[in-house]
Amino acid sequence: MADSHDDGHHSHPPYLIIFWVLCIFTGLSWAADELQEFIPNMGVLAVIVLAIASAKALCVMLYFMHLKFERNWKYVLLAPTFILACGLPLALLPDVGVHYYDIDVPQNSIADRVAEMPEDGDAESHAPGH
Amino acid sequence: MSHSSGHPAKPPLKMGLAIPNSKLCMWLFLGTEIMFFTAFIGTYLVLRLGSPDWPSDVADTHINVRLGGLNTFVLIFSSYMVVVAHEAMTLKDFGKAKKSLWITFVCGIVFMGVKGVEYYGKISHDIVPGHIAETEDQALRKLVNEFRESRDEMGRALFVPGEDGEVPDLSKISVALRGELSGATDESRKADLQAFVKLEDRLQNSFLIVETDPEGHQILSSDQARIEAARVAFSKLEKAATAAKELHAAAIAKAADENREAPADPGIVDPVPPTIIGLSAAVRRELLPLFEASHESVDREAGHHLNLHITGLLDEMRSEENARIAAFFSVHDPHPIKYGNVFASTYFIMTGFHAIHVIVGLILFAIVLKQGPALDEKWTDFVENSGLYWHFVDLVWIFLFPLIYIIKF
Repeated sequence: MADSHDDGHHSHPPYLIIFWVLCIFTGLSWAADELQEFIPNMGVLAVIVLAIASAKALCVMLYFMHLKFERNWKYVLLAPTFILACGLPLALLPDVGVHYYDIDVPQNSIADRVAEMPEDGDAESHAPGH
Repeated sequence: MSHSSGHPAKPPLKMGLAIPNSKLCMWLFLGTEIMFFTAFIGTYLVLRLGSPDWPSDVADTHINVRLGGLNTFVLIFSSYMVVVAHEAMTLKDFGKAKKSLWITFVCGIVFMGVKGVEYYGKISHDIVPGHIAETEDQALRKLVNEFRESRDEMGRALFVPGEDGEVPDLSKISVALRGELSGATDESRKADLQAFVKLEDRLQNSFLIVETDPEGHQILSSDQARIEAARVAFSKLEKAATAAKELHAAAIAKAADENREAPADPGIVDPVPPTIIGLSAAVRRELLPLFEASHESVDREAGHHLNLHITGLLDEMRSEENARIAAFFSVHDPHPIKYGNVFASTYFIMTGFHAIHVIVGLILFAIVLKQGPALDEKWTDFVENSGLYWHFVDLVWIFLFPLIYIIKF
């Protein structure tokens, strides 16, 4: 137990500086949102704000969570969880996220469906979705 | 074995990592937490990528970037306070540690308060999974149900049970209240009963009717005479609108010939009358092309047509004159939101589980703060581990903030 403090973190990371850096990053995210009409498309905005979020996460992990000063067990412990965490999103991605086919769901507008309906005047009037 | 060799005593055999077991456990737990939240966030991203026209308009989602940004700042500040507290614990400055932990605790409460404000906004607009209409049909059905629930609620509230205390079914309540109205003398009671009858009549005389088909599905329906009346009304208005357009065009042409300034647009009446509300899908299917032919510039987004026609009805029901009715119900503007339910589900599951983690963090800090003057170095590892947990909660929010609040497409 006693040697929990022998791994270098008494070198005292610059906590206050990290805090101000995190504040500045949060301000930049907010500014990106405010200025989004000047950003060419939403994809660029997404990249900007997610890059800022990753930088903030890195600051928190390295300094506030002391990972910068921990030994190599951190890789053994955290690498598998990151790899496994990617499993579910990757498994869902092909069929749900990036399907090549048109999806046919009730959410498509009534106007679009009306245009495709035959003009037989049947009295069907089911509300969709249930 | 080593005792029999006569060699100097070796240092005790040391197993495991050079960190406290509790810290190792916390990191293992955080490893599972990474997978837990990645499942939610990853699923949200995949669903969002696969759902074109995901709701992003603030009018639909009631997402407030400023409140989200405020909460981000609050969590970052609290994270900073936790490391200050841990540092103070290692330096045996327990007074400073307690002060920092109190600030962290208050930050957590503030975070939950802001979250509560956000949740209240969502719930009051019925942005709740399973409650959101995603098509016009669903919006109509929801509107009907809400009006009916209001009427039922009002009827139950006004009905005075007899000596046996039994409350009959709603149809009998209606008959009883109408009977009472004819002989009512108390002005206040009379006004209440009149309000109820007015609401009921308004519902019965509109096209807002839900019926149950032979297979048990609820369907929107209406009687044929009313549909026919609506068609006639529509046709008249449509002709009037076309005539008005032609007159206006002719006036512009005449003005051009005579070198005069073109007359202002007289403002053409919307050709779809309010009575179209609740028409069956079959009837609307006939009316919609006419509507679009005469209104080429009309926004065809789902819900637009609907909102044009029911605003009047809602305004009427909510008017000052009907304050007695309005007091009894909350009918939401029927506002179809495509993929609104999956949006609400993912929003509440991500932010809800995050909020639960905040509450657990507050409990951990409360345990330390409860020690009061007894806080000593034995609690250093506990504070460090609670801090690690709290930083993880902060990390999750750092990603939720841009993903939920900022990125809109």
